[in-house]
Amino acid sequence: MLSQIVSALVVVFVAVVACSAYFYFSNKILDLALPVSDGDVRAASRNLNRRAVIRPWLFLGPALFLLFVYLVYPVVATFILSFYDRTGLQFVGIANYKWAIGDREFRQSIFNNILWLAVVPAACTFFGLVIAVMTDRIWWGNIAKSIVFMPMAISFVGASVIWKFIYEYRGGNDVQIGLLNAIVQLFGGTPEVWISVPFWNNFFLMIILIWIQTGFAMVILSAALRGIPEETIEAAVIDGANGWQIFWRIMVPQVWGTIAVVWTTITILVLKVFDIVLTMTNGQWQTMVLANLMFDWMFRGGGDSGRSAVIAIIIMLAVTPIMIWNVRRANRELKGH
Amino acid sequence: MKKSFLMGVAVAALFAGAASAADLKFAPGQDSKFNWKSYDEFKAAHADLKGQPLTIFGPWRGEDEAFFMSVLAYFTEATGVDAKYSSSENYEQQIVIDTQAGSPPNIAILPQPGLLADLASKGFLTPLGDDNSKWIKDNYGAGDSWVGYGTYKGKDGKEAFYSFPYKADVKSLVWYVPENFEEAGYKIPTTMEELHALTDQIVKDGGVPWCIGLGSGGATGWPATDWVEDIMLRMQPPEAYDKWTTNELKFTDPAVVAAIDEFGKFAKNEKYVDGGVAAVASTDFRDSPKGLFAVPPKCYMHHQASFIPSFFPEGTKLGQDADFFYMPTYASKPELGKPVLGAGTLVSIAKDSKAARAFIDFLKTPIAHEVWMAQSSFLTPYKSVSTEAYANPQMKKEGEILTSATTFRFDGSDLMPGKIGAGAFWTGMVDFVGGKSAEEAAGEIQSAWDGIK
Repeated sequence: MLSQIVSALVVVFVAVVACSAYFYFSNKILDLALPVSDGDVRAASRNLNRRAVIRPWLFLGPALFLLFVYLVYPVVATFILSFYDRTGLQFVGIANYKWAIGDREFRQSIFNNILWLAVVPAACTFFGLVIAVMTDRIWWGNIAKSIVFMPMAISFVGASVIWKFIYEYRGGNDVQIGLLNAIVQLFGGTPEVWISVPFWNNFFLMIILIWIQTGFAMVILSAALRGIPEETIEAAVIDGANGWQIFWRIMVPQVWGTIAVVWTTITILVLKVFDIVLTMTNGQWQTMVLANLMFDWMFRGGGDSGRSAVIAIIIMLAVTPIMIWNVRRANRELKGH
Repeated sequence: MKKSFLMGVAVAALFAGAASAADLKFAPGQDSKFNWKSYDEFKAAHADLKGQPLTIFGPWRGEDEAFFMSVLAYFTEATGVDAKYSSSENYEQQIVIDTQAGSPPNIAILPQPGLLADLASKGFLTPLGDDNSKWIKDNYGAGDSWVGYGTYKGKDGKEAFYSFPYKADVKSLVWYVPENFEEAGYKIPTTMEELHALTDQIVKDGGVPWCIGLGSGGATGWPATDWVEDIMLRMQPPEAYDKWTTNELKFTDPAVVAAIDEFGKFAKNEKYVDGGVAAVASTDFRDSPKGLFAVPPKCYMHHQASFIPSFFPEGTKLGQDADFFYMPTYASKPELGKPVLGAGTLVSIAKDSKAARAFIDFLKTPIAHEVWMAQSSFLTPYKSVSTEAYANPQMKKEGEILTSATTFRFDGSDLMPGKIGAGAFWTGMVDFVGGKSAEEAAGEIQSAWDGIK
């Protein structure tokens, strides 16, 4: 343990020094290679221009290189692998894609993912917005916000473990230690094994992500709400609008851009949801989602790189349009519509 | 100041690693129930490995890890090899990541021949050579079966011996608390028919006969596969079992469906299982046997392999507080004899080195088996070990089942392709207990198997 900490510190130190050294010396070398002396004015101005062209690449270089190594190359490699068999050696054409379409588990995962997409971003944004509006005008609003935001600090696995205890089931006449079953029992109901109730168990897993992400939506939306000019609300009040109308007709349209950002960010997160399902059910009881299915095919019992690559590509294809739309919208906003 | 502090920390960390290797659980040469001669001979033959690194990856965690470390201490003491053991809860995934990433451990220890066969076929394992396979054949009970479970096709398509069996489990066991049986006046069933009758009798007397728990995190469902395999060996000849593990005999075959249904007779009856059917899939297998020891007992019987005493309440004396009987066979099928279902871990070399070879040689010394036997939860088919070393008479009894086995069959789900044996079969059993019929569950497992071809 201690030796790990020591080596981690050493690595951090060396890396920081190496990075600074790279920028400092590459800059120095560029200046030396293309001198700007007082003698030859034409050469000096030419060198200045060249410096201006080269310098950004010099500084961007490491980032671009890393981006290529860790993003572009894996995407291309994954795409190629998706046409090969389980060992990645034998070309099989589109057989893996055909398999995916026909596979029951794959279709189940798609269905579950759509379910997640329909529920989680909407619920997080809705709860985030409602909490942001409601906590704005009460004295303990900040305390409430901190509590809502706290789950953000917990890892997905940690949160799942907490919720595992909430859904815990004890058989027979044992005392229920799971919060949900204890409540059910208190009101005279029969305890259930929540995470194994088909279809509905998906929602029990979604609640965990909603619990984690509502804080994120709330913080962003609350900042946006602060940005609404006070006059518009005052004007509405003078015109006799009630609270409901002020919320829907004045506030929501003005923070619409932020709602979209929050919504899409959580949508992308949901497409990649993995840890919660792995920790809670590992895809059993029909809760499989794409990311878990991919992991399963890649690593269980020796693995099948072809099929897992297909699933990875499909997840990427699903995320891409949302990303593009998000980036475009952000660009438009930067340019002032 | 800061620098010297960091140096001190680093030095302390170095020594912390070295100190733990030095203490041996049983002082060499003292206790005569151990074969110390084998240890001395091994030490003399491998004295030239001082300081060589050896990484070992295995499935043992918690208590078992401590036991393995106590065995490994003898190896490091004898050879001076700098051995490091690591494990992972998700060892099946971890070993795939490690081998494919090009940083495999020297020694990979896995309980799944199917997974090892897969690794071998991709060229990630080093053949151990014919001397080793011959040694197993000569020295292990049912040696031929064990050699078979370590022999796979390599990347070149040629069969070779890749994995050395070390540490075995006997699975055909039913655990019970003798005191509870005495009090209620129950007799150990000697046939499957009697087991069914006893189950009914316990319900009639107002008790719950079975504790069954299938929960195991990401591996939820596997304990049910043991049940089905055990029943399969009792309803069908071993040849059918072998065909089943290679899918020559389909999952949808009436023989397999009948075995699943037979398991359902125990697990899918509200009155037969502690907590009701709903609790079966959600109860962790490690918690499940605890019902035996409750007062009054929550259940009377628990079907589980020989490793399960590790999860009994602390201080449980085997033979006194808890005992086992052999999962009986059908009186109506005497021709099937007394089959034994078991499992074991297999040791392979994933990155060859002199130290790795020495480790395989070490496993051939009786002492490598006896040190663990003398502590807990370790059985071996190795015939030359001193059975006196077993920690208790129950383990000795289990060990003798192994060394004298004629029909020994390896855990079927570990022989099937990973996606089935460590996936669809588990899920299918969870679905079966969750309400699907045996035909439906078997159909889904079979379609998953068709899907990987």
